[in-house]
Amino acid sequence: MRQPEITIPTTIKVPAAERIVAQNGTSIYAIKCPEYKVVRISFVFEAGSTRQLHPFIASATANMLAEGSQNLSAQQIAERLDYYGSYFDINIDRDHAYITFCTLSKFFSQTAEIIEEVILRPTFPQEETATYCAKRKQQLTIERRKVEHIARENFAKAMFGAEHPYGISYSEERYDDITSEMLSDHYRRCYTAEGCIVVCSGDLTDDVLQRVLSITESLPHATADNEFVSPPVHTTHQMFIPHDEAVQASIRMGRMLFGRTHEEFIPMQVLSTILGGYFGSRLMQNLRERNGFTYGVYSAMVNFQQAGYLALATQVGYEVKEAALEEIAREIETLRQEPVSEEELSLVKNIMAGEMMRILDGPFGIADVTTENILCGFDNSHIQQNLERIRQTTPEELQALAQKYLRPEDLVTVVVG
Amino acid sequence: MITYTKHILNNGLTVLANRDCTSQLAAVNLLYKVGARNEKPSCTGLAHLFEHLMFRGTHNVADFDTPVQMACGENNAFTNNDYTNFYITLPTDNIQTALWLESDRMHGLNLSEKAISIEKRVVIEEFRQRYLNQPYGDINMLLRELVYTTHPYRWATIGLSPDHIEQASAEEIRAFYNRYYQPSNAILSISGNIAEDEVFALAEKWFAPISNDCTPHDIIPVEPVQTEARRKEIERDVPATVIIIAFHMGDRLSRDFFLGDMASDLLAGGDSARLYERLIKKKRLFSSVNAYISGDVDCGTFCFTGQLLPSTTEEQAEAALWEEISELQQGKISDYEIEKVKNKFEANTLFGELNVMNKAMNLGYYEMIGDLPLINREVEVYRSLQRSDIADFAQRIFREENSSTLIYRAGK
Repeated sequence: MRQPEITIPTTIKVPAAERIVAQNGTSIYAIKCPEYKVVRISFVFEAGSTRQLHPFIASATANMLAEGSQNLSAQQIAERLDYYGSYFDINIDRDHAYITFCTLSKFFSQTAEIIEEVILRPTFPQEETATYCAKRKQQLTIERRKVEHIARENFAKAMFGAEHPYGISYSEERYDDITSEMLSDHYRRCYTAEGCIVVCSGDLTDDVLQRVLSITESLPHATADNEFVSPPVHTTHQMFIPHDEAVQASIRMGRMLFGRTHEEFIPMQVLSTILGGYFGSRLMQNLRERNGFTYGVYSAMVNFQQAGYLALATQVGYEVKEAALEEIAREIETLRQEPVSEEELSLVKNIMAGEMMRILDGPFGIADVTTENILCGFDNSHIQQNLERIRQTTPEELQALAQKYLRPEDLVTVVVG
Repeated sequence: MITYTKHILNNGLTVLANRDCTSQLAAVNLLYKVGARNEKPSCTGLAHLFEHLMFRGTHNVADFDTPVQMACGENNAFTNNDYTNFYITLPTDNIQTALWLESDRMHGLNLSEKAISIEKRVVIEEFRQRYLNQPYGDINMLLRELVYTTHPYRWATIGLSPDHIEQASAEEIRAFYNRYYQPSNAILSISGNIAEDEVFALAEKWFAPISNDCTPHDIIPVEPVQTEARRKEIERDVPATVIIIAFHMGDRLSRDFFLGDMASDLLAGGDSARLYERLIKKKRLFSSVNAYISGDVDCGTFCFTGQLLPSTTEEQAEAALWEEISELQQGKISDYEIEKVKNKFEANTLFGELNVMNKAMNLGYYEMIGDLPLINREVEVYRSLQRSDIADFAQRIFREENSSTLIYRAGK
C-alpha cells in the first residue's frame, strides 16, 4: 500500500504548572495528573559547584543528604523509603542540586516524613562523610585514567579558563580535606528558601499539596549572599594532551556561545543536530559510516545558568585522530559554504519535534521540562514557542549562523590520547 | 490499571487497543511469538538475526528508519528466548506511518543474499564482542548448558556458536520468515489517544490484506525432571570468582512464578534486602550477590549468584548461600519483609505504566503469555501470597537434586 501522508505537529499540549507561593517566598509548581496514582516531588536549590567554598563540597553535600538526619540513621532512611516502594534521586551540576522523590500516592504521607528528614534535617555524620569521600576519591582516580574523562575536564578548562567556576577541576587529593562541618556549612548557605523551587507532578490532591507547602515553608531564609557572578572567561583554543596507555583518542570540540534564553539558541540547536545530533547526522555519516573511525560522535548545545556552548565529542582510533579532526573540520566548513537541503532540514526538524514530544510523555517527563523552563525564567508556553521556532528555521538562516559562529579560529579543540 | 479492548482479524492477527486521553504520542508495538526457543539445535541464533534483518528494508520501502524519523518517530526492537518485539512511538496523527511500515515488513522483507550477508557479519561481530571477548561474557551460556539438557532454553538468544549464523543458508532464513512472521503469530498493541474502534479499523486497513499462510505450532521439547545435582567448574582470566546455583521452577502462569519472584525480591530486591545485608555487609563474603528468576514463558530457573571477595573460599561462599536457602525453607521471614516486597512490587508496576510505550509493550507481553487480564491482576496476586507459601516454595524448589552449580573461577 502507499505511504500515508504525514502530519508534522504544530502544537504540543502541555498542562500549565499551577504556581503556589509559600510564606517564605519559595515557589511550588504543581502539574496535576490525577489519573496516575503516583507522586513525584523535586526540590531544586542553587547549590551547585559554582556556589561551593571548598572543592567537591557541593556534590558531597547533595549526595550526603540522606546519609543521616536528626531523627533517623542512613540505614533507617533507606529502609523506610524501600518499605513503601519509594525512591529518591540526586542530581548535581555546576549551578543546581536537584533532589527528587517518587512514591505511590497512597504512601505519600509516610514518604513525606522521610522527605522532611532528608531536606530539612540532615546531619552529615562524620563517619559516613569519611566513607563517602574515600569512595569518591577512588572513583575519581580511576575515572581520570580514561581519555574521555580527561578530555571532558580539560574541555571545560579550555573553554572557560582553569580558575573559572565553570572550568575548574580539582586534584582528587582535595577529598582528604573535607569535613562534615564543611558540608553543614554548604547546606546552611545554599539549601534555603531563596533560590529554591519545588516542582511536583502526578496525583496531587489538596492534602499532598498542603504537605509539600508545609515542608517548603520550613526552609530557612538565607543568612548570607549566595549570588554567583560569572567572572570573565579565558579561552584556550587548542589543547593536545598525550596519554601513553590510550588505544583511542578522545576529541572534544566546540565554541562558547550563549544559554537557552538567547534568541539564537534554538536555531543553533537545529544546526548542532544536523552536524551530530542524531544517528544519521553528518558527522555520524562521515566518521562512522564512511570512514569507520568511531562507534559514535555527538554534538549538542550545552546550557548553564550564565553561559552556554556548542560541543561535539567522539572517541576515535589513536592512529586516525588527525584524519578525524580533518573530517570534522570539513563537515563544519561545509555547513558554512553550502545551505542545508530542504529535505535534510525537514528530517531534522521532525526528529527534534518528535524528541520533544517523547520527553513530554507522562507526568515525570512533563515535570522535568517544567523545571528546565522555570530555571530559565519561562513558563510552559515556551515549549510551543520552541516548536514554532524550530519550524521557522530556514537553510539560509542556518548557513548564516554557521558563518557567524563556526569560524575555525573561534573553535576550541581538545584531544587526549 | 491499563484498560484495553481486544479484536482478532480474520487472518489471525490479534489487535489490542488502550486509549490514553492525555498523551499526544501513540505507541505501536508488534510482538512476534518467536524466539530462540523456536530454533532447531543445529541452527540457533536465527530469531535474533531476524530482529536485525527486519530493519534492512522491504521490496517497497528501501530504508526503514528514515520514514519513521520523517514522521517524528523513534523505533527499536529486542529478542529473547520467547519472543521478538518491535516498537515505534510517534505523534498520534502519524500512526498510519507506523502501521504502513509494520504491515509492509510482515510480508515483503528484503531477504536478498546481500542483505543477509551484511547482517550476518554484524551479528557475528556482536557475538564476539559481547559474549566471547568480554570478561564473564560466556557465563550465561555455560549456565544454560548445565541447567538444560533438552529444552531449547539451553542456548542463549545469540545462539550456540557464531558458526550457526555463518552457516545458515538463505533457504533456511527464508523458511524461518515464512513460518513465523505471519499475522496469526503476531500481536499488535497500540496505546494513544485514539478510540478503540478507530484502532481496529486502522488495523483492518493495513493488516487485513496480508494472508495468513501458516499457523506455527511448534512442539517444544520438554525438559525432563532433574534427579541429581549437577556441577561444572571452569577457570577463566577474570578478576574474581563467581558462583551460580540454579534451580528449575514453574512456568510463567504457574503460582510458583509469583512465589519465585517474591522470594527473589525478599533475598535481593534492593540494598536493604537479605543477601546484601547479610552476605556483603555483615559476613563480608561477596563483593556482589543476587537472586533472580529467569522469567521465561516455559518452566524457568531460579538463580543465586555471587562474586567472591579474594579472602572468601568457594566452600564458604556456597555454604553461605545454602544457609540463606535454609532460612527461607524454615519460614524465617518477618511480616515486615513480606509487606515491603509487596509494596515494592506495586510501586514498580505503577511506575512502569506511566507512558504509552510501556503500556503498549505490556499489553503485547501479557497477551503473548496467554493471560491478558493478568496485566491488572498481578498486584492482587502478590498481595495474596503468605509466608507459608514462600517456605513451601523454597522446600519444593531449592533441593540439592534440583540444583546446578557453576563455579567460574578466577585464573591467572
